[in-house]
Amino acid sequence: MSVLREMIGNFLSRPVTILYPWKKVPIPDTFRGRVANCDDLCIGCSKCSLVCPAQVITMIDGPRDVEFKGKNIARKKRPQVDLYKCIRCGLCERHCPTGSIHLEHEHAGTGTDRDVMVI
Amino acid sequence: MTDPVYILLYIFLFPGFFFLFAYAFFLSYLDRKIAARMQQRIGPPIFQPFADFIKMLGKEVINPHGVDWRVFDAIPLIALAAVMTAFLYVPVTGASPLAFPGDLVVVLYLMALPTIALFLLGWLSRNVFSAMGGVRAVTQLFIYEVPFFLALLTPAIMAGSWSISEIVRWQQHNLWLVFFQPIGFIVAIVGLQAKLERTPFDIPEAETEIVAGPWTELTGRRLALMHLTTEVSLVVGSALMAALFLGGPILPWTLSPQWLNGAVGFCLFLAKTLAILFVLSSITVATGRLRIDQLNDIGWKYIASAALVQVGIVLVINFLWVTP
Amino acid sequence: MPEVVIPIGPHHPALKEPVNFRIIADGEKIVRLELDLSYNHRGIEKAAEQRNFIRVLPLLERVCGICSHSHATVFAKGIEEIMGLEISPRAQYIRTIIAELERMHSHLLWLGVAAHEIGFNTLFMWTWRDREAVQDTLEEMSGNRVHYGINEIGGVRCDLTPAQIETALARLPDLEERIKKYVDMVNSEETLLIRFRGVGMMSKEEALKYGAVGPTARASGVDYDVRRDDPYLAYAEVPWKVITDTRGDVYGRTRVRIGELWESTQIVRSCLENIPAGPIRVDAPKNAPKGEILSRYEAPRGELAHFIRTNGTDRVERVDIRSPTLANWTSVAMCLVNQNLADIPVIIAAIDPCLSCTCRMVVINQKNRMNVTYMKNKGIALDPGGRLNGRRP
Repeated sequence: MSVLREMIGNFLSRPVTILYPWKKVPIPDTFRGRVANCDDLCIGCSKCSLVCPAQVITMIDGPRDVEFKGKNIARKKRPQVDLYKCIRCGLCERHCPTGSIHLEHEHAGTGTDRDVMVI
Repeated sequence: MTDPVYILLYIFLFPGFFFLFAYAFFLSYLDRKIAARMQQRIGPPIFQPFADFIKMLGKEVINPHGVDWRVFDAIPLIALAAVMTAFLYVPVTGASPLAFPGDLVVVLYLMALPTIALFLLGWLSRNVFSAMGGVRAVTQLFIYEVPFFLALLTPAIMAGSWSISEIVRWQQHNLWLVFFQPIGFIVAIVGLQAKLERTPFDIPEAETEIVAGPWTELTGRRLALMHLTTEVSLVVGSALMAALFLGGPILPWTLSPQWLNGAVGFCLFLAKTLAILFVLSSITVATGRLRIDQLNDIGWKYIASAALVQVGIVLVINFLWVTP
Repeated sequence: MPEVVIPIGPHHPALKEPVNFRIIADGEKIVRLELDLSYNHRGIEKAAEQRNFIRVLPLLERVCGICSHSHATVFAKGIEEIMGLEISPRAQYIRTIIAELERMHSHLLWLGVAAHEIGFNTLFMWTWRDREAVQDTLEEMSGNRVHYGINEIGGVRCDLTPAQIETALARLPDLEERIKKYVDMVNSEETLLIRFRGVGMMSKEEALKYGAVGPTARASGVDYDVRRDDPYLAYAEVPWKVITDTRGDVYGRTRVRIGELWESTQIVRSCLENIPAGPIRVDAPKNAPKGEILSRYEAPRGELAHFIRTNGTDRVERVDIRSPTLANWTSVAMCLVNQNLADIPVIIAAIDPCLSCTCRMVVINQKNRMNVTYMKNKGIALDPGGRLNGRRP
């Protein structure tokens, strides 16, 4: 009776439940968490906004100087991401030419204010 | 023995209703914990059944349209009262002070009342699922009740009395009845599993088929009381098995201080009911649910014939033992 | 009891997704049933016409959670064929590995759900515990436990590092041992055999006539598997077998799925060990030439077909999704007649229904519909008390 043997074996050993939050589940490096953008690498090309399937990235004003291919250039736009609506698909990270927009390791923080989730 | 204060304390405090409820919650917790550990989960903490009871008492009671709500309120109370009364005749620390010849029959009758209550609830609910569940409950009652009664008849035949406390006293001077009647013990355990409506016999309450059957329209305090009835039935059933087959709370010899005798008997009672609970939980974990027509097949073909065989063997033993 | 109407769904504990069966039962035997499938319709086919090829793949992935990679791969495969792209072998192998891992997690999920439908919750807990190993592997490879997002037009999005391959291979022996234990349990556990054997019988002619696909059809002896008969990805290069069974009942379908589970572990192992080196994607053009294609794929539930029509722009003009569950519903309706009421969840669960894949708009034929006058004329009892579903008719 394989079921009986398995039952008694399980009874005498530890449960496999990981008691979150006292123990954390190991998360791999490739995990697709929330979106973050580095302002000093982003050149404002709006490619991320064009490929986003859920249309959560909009380009807003953000004038700054960025170093790109050895030269300092003045850029005007930066992406604004609505983290509530983002589906964490990773297409923005895949199509970004400078690698500035990327998906972090953690999923998302929560907040009491709606504006917290728009970066 | 006839001291009214003693009787009142026995009925209401220990080992009466207060101990009964505490032990019912504890056995329900242990049942869920054993099942969880066998499935490699953690299981609930110890106060979970009590917390469920308190929570359900506080929930809203919903009366379906056109249902007689007074009857709906009364039926869980009747079922609970029946099994609570049945516990008074089962020996817990020694012989029960309320014992009388024939109390085995009374206990078995009282334990059948919750199933009838479920059928009534199902029929009165004006709901297809509940009606089907109620019909299934009564069908199951017909199928398992005959072998169950037969299997509990044989200890009475062997001990020569219809009183549970007398049977326990008989086992004090001879061996435990399980050694004389192993087939009867197995049939009784299977019958108990069917009476308590646990897997593989939880056909009336089949969640994936008929949405909780007769329990569908129970809410709030009615559900709390009906659930408590199930838990108390578990205690009464295990205690009955422990008393009839495993020797009950009495040692083969009596110890000198009266209170020590009672304490040791109580520890024996706990150990034996926990052993029966472990067996019942293992059966619940290891099997899936049967269909009602398959239960019909198995019940009449195998279980009832095993019970009849056991009765025949016991009659032969009695004849051979008594006559020479 | 006279004939009664029993509503199964749209809300019912036996169903994971909403579907409406109205079953006419005589005591415990089923006489007829009516089926309504439209509860999960989301308009995905229309939404797909407004997105270009980069943005449409995540949408099509989210048609279903369990067979998400199937929908994305079959669409990508179709578009690449219209464009005439040649995918690199490494990308094909990566897609195959993810596809077979998806099949494993889907079949383990199904085994647990089927056990839960007969009240055998222990097997449910054990199979879902083992499914966690597959989910962990998928999370390491793609970044998410469902909706892997690994496909692009032209290849795959990210590569497999040697460390990932090693951890995946290290998980496989445990899984294989557990699967052997499940084979043992399914063959010897009494209550399982009693509930599954002889239930929902479907002969080979009936399976072909009603258009059943996947393990449902293979359990009735229909020897057809898209991976062998119309090869795609890396299936032609990897040794594997098609599992069929002759029983035709729910037990046969269980055996087919467990057999496929074993074959999937072998395919994954073989692909992981022999994965060729090379690029993982090729550059795809922005627009697709004009054309029509029917792209087929063996999803865990059966043959999945996407009909794609393009018109020279960077969007599709029409995508039509024929999911395997849609093909299997007629066989359920046929199998359920004259079965026991207690077998309804078992037979429904045996085709592994995925309503999210299936949903269609349903047009109800008002003349032949089973309404109250029709039931009264036929002498079918409404629920006790003379009301239908609690409301006065």
